[in-house]
Amino acid sequence: MFKDLDPILHSQLRLAIMSLLISVKEAEFNYLKDNTNATAGNLSVQITKLKEAGYLEVTKNFKDNYPQTICKITPKGRDAFDEYVKSLQSYLKSRK
Amino acid sequence: MQEETFSPEESLQVIQTMIEKTKGKVVDNSFYFLLWGWLVFVASIGQFVLKVIVHTPYHYVVWNLMFVGIIFSVIYSVRTKRKRIVKTYVDESLDYLWIAIVASYVLFGFAFARMGWQNCYTFYMLLYAVGCFVTGRVLKFSPLVWGAIASWVLALISTFLPFDYNILLCALAILVSYIIPGYLLRNQCRKQASNV
Repeated sequence: MFKDLDPILHSQLRLAIMSLLISVKEAEFNYLKDNTNATAGNLSVQITKLKEAGYLEVTKNFKDNYPQTICKITPKGRDAFDEYVKSLQSYLKSRK
Repeated sequence: MQEETFSPEESLQVIQTMIEKTKGKVVDNSFYFLLWGWLVFVASIGQFVLKVIVHTPYHYVVWNLMFVGIIFSVIYSVRTKRKRIVKTYVDESLDYLWIAIVASYVLFGFAFARMGWQNCYTFYMLLYAVGCFVTGRVLKFSPLVWGAIASWVLALISTFLPFDYNILLCALAILVSYIIPGYLLRNQCRKQASNV
């Protein structure tokens, strides 16, 4: 049933972030911002939520004197995403 | 993008749209193919001219051009790494592949210096083929794959020919495996960039 969907992932922006990161090794904050068209503030909040859930690993450092945030999906995040997609598939199948 | 509840269909749509954005983007590695392609091509032709036409015993000096390639490659790689905002698994695998190939080129240099250079071009052509074949298959870019196959064939032919002709075969191998695919790759990446 639909209620089984992971509430952390069942949010448009958080799901978009996870979908972008699932097929890459790591990405910078600006890459996520450009591809999701989200505001920096909102994106930052959602990344923090995903990080707190253990789905993302976030590294902050400096590049050419500018702060740089690199996001990477964790094995827990990968499993959660996989589970979310499976739940979606079974829900959509049950509706057919 | 709004933070709101949304339907399963919309969920799938988001996943699909985001995965599409990261999929199928050919990484523009054409700089390395063109830089090394032209350097090796010029050095090969130069060595052939110096050895066969000018008859100088110092025909190998043209290969010092490779140091120019090393300097430009290091500068370019540092600059592009700074600009890179996403690292895909394809990028990472290709990085490892080319590190292995560069290490092999360097070690071949040491090995041939000790064992003699008479068959060196056969082995260099085999290495061109390995790098181009794997890169071509991973990027799904067939000109590199065809260039690799041509290099394998030329490497085989080189075993039947004397050293002087092997220099020319090497120039031909680098033309078909690095230079031509390098230009085609650059065109494809530019087209891809202009469509974004």
